[in-house]
Amino acid sequence: MSDPVPTVKFLGLTFDVANDLSILITCLIVLLFVFLLSRHITMKPKGGQNVLEWLVEFTNGIVKGSIKGNDASHFGLFAFSLFLFIFVANQIGLFIHIQVGEYTYVKSPTADPVVTLTLSLMTIALAHYAGIAKNGAKAYFKGYLAPFKLFLPLNLFEQFTNFLTLGLRLFGNIFAGEMLLTLISGLTSSDNWVSYLYSLPVELAWQGFSVFIGSVQAFVFVTLASVYISRQLSPEE
Amino acid sequence: MLSHLIIGASGLYLGDMLFIAISFIILMALIAWVAWNPITKMMGERANKIANDIDTAEKSRKEASDLADQRRDALSHSRTEASGIVAEAKQSGEKQRATIVADAQNEATQYKQSARKDIEQERQDALKNVQSDVADISVQIASKIIKKQLDPEGQQALINSYIEGLGKHESR
Repeated sequence: MSDPVPTVKFLGLTFDVANDLSILITCLIVLLFVFLLSRHITMKPKGGQNVLEWLVEFTNGIVKGSIKGNDASHFGLFAFSLFLFIFVANQIGLFIHIQVGEYTYVKSPTADPVVTLTLSLMTIALAHYAGIAKNGAKAYFKGYLAPFKLFLPLNLFEQFTNFLTLGLRLFGNIFAGEMLLTLISGLTSSDNWVSYLYSLPVELAWQGFSVFIGSVQAFVFVTLASVYISRQLSPEE
Repeated sequence: MLSHLIIGASGLYLGDMLFIAISFIILMALIAWVAWNPITKMMGERANKIANDIDTAEKSRKEASDLADQRRDALSHSRTEASGIVAEAKQSGEKQRATIVADAQNEATQYKQSARKDIEQERQDALKNVQSDVADISVQIASKIIKKQLDPEGQQALINSYIEGLGKHESR
């Protein structure tokens, strides 16, 4: 949570090493998780397969809650991946925080607005793409003029705020959680062991609450993503 | 603390955004390959299998109930058949008994009749014999009476000889 970030310039693009490392780790954890749980897939599910199927049912349920009809099946994989990625990304900062010198290298990638806004941008882009693919460009652009022409700026603004709120909600929650964790751990000092007595339970409690927040935020993000997609798919409703 | 975000707005973190987007898409593809496709395929197969199982269970239940009906029918049929057979056997037994008894009765009456006839015949024969005997004896007696009519001694002798002759006749 320190101010300076380790950056690398490559092909004229600037990369934040901390973010990229955290994302890589998150991706690896998610991949390892689904890889290990999907080894022995049988007709009669047992063990890991049950967990995985429960997760699939869960995310499919989120998608089907807002996207009606056959379209829901097209977004199952997206919702599943998004949920797992955000969930792991939210939790990873709670127990891993690697700081070398003044640079933090591993933290929650979702505690950075660049990451969350990218995710929300992807979601909104997917929603608009799905809307055009399903209803055609004409109907898509007509949607901006509904219910009448004066609503054009309002609709444009709505899309922009959707994008912003989707990303910033996740960022705010996770960032605040990590910030508070850092502050609580800052209460301790090595020459005053009594400080551990009161800061440890507080830290524990806040970590538990952060696990809860992280789960809820992953759920909320996926839910809102499917809501935005469904709005683009059927703009009348 | 948030100063880097301001720089970020000026395109500094475009690399990051690309990295996130690409890594997420790769992650999605890998999840699809590793877990999603096999899992959803298996779930679909399971749904089909369950539907099929329900159908086949319904079918086999119907079959079983049909079989049970058939068996029940056959059972009741065979029961009536068995009772019919028993009744028939009883009837034929009764008939046979009646004929046997009738036959025996006939035979017995026949025997009786023939026996009676025989006895009658014998009696007639015996009577005839006796009659002829009596006639003979009467003739003898008459002749003897005529022979010895003269004296009492002669009469006595006649009686004696008659008694003698009677004894002879008896013994004969």
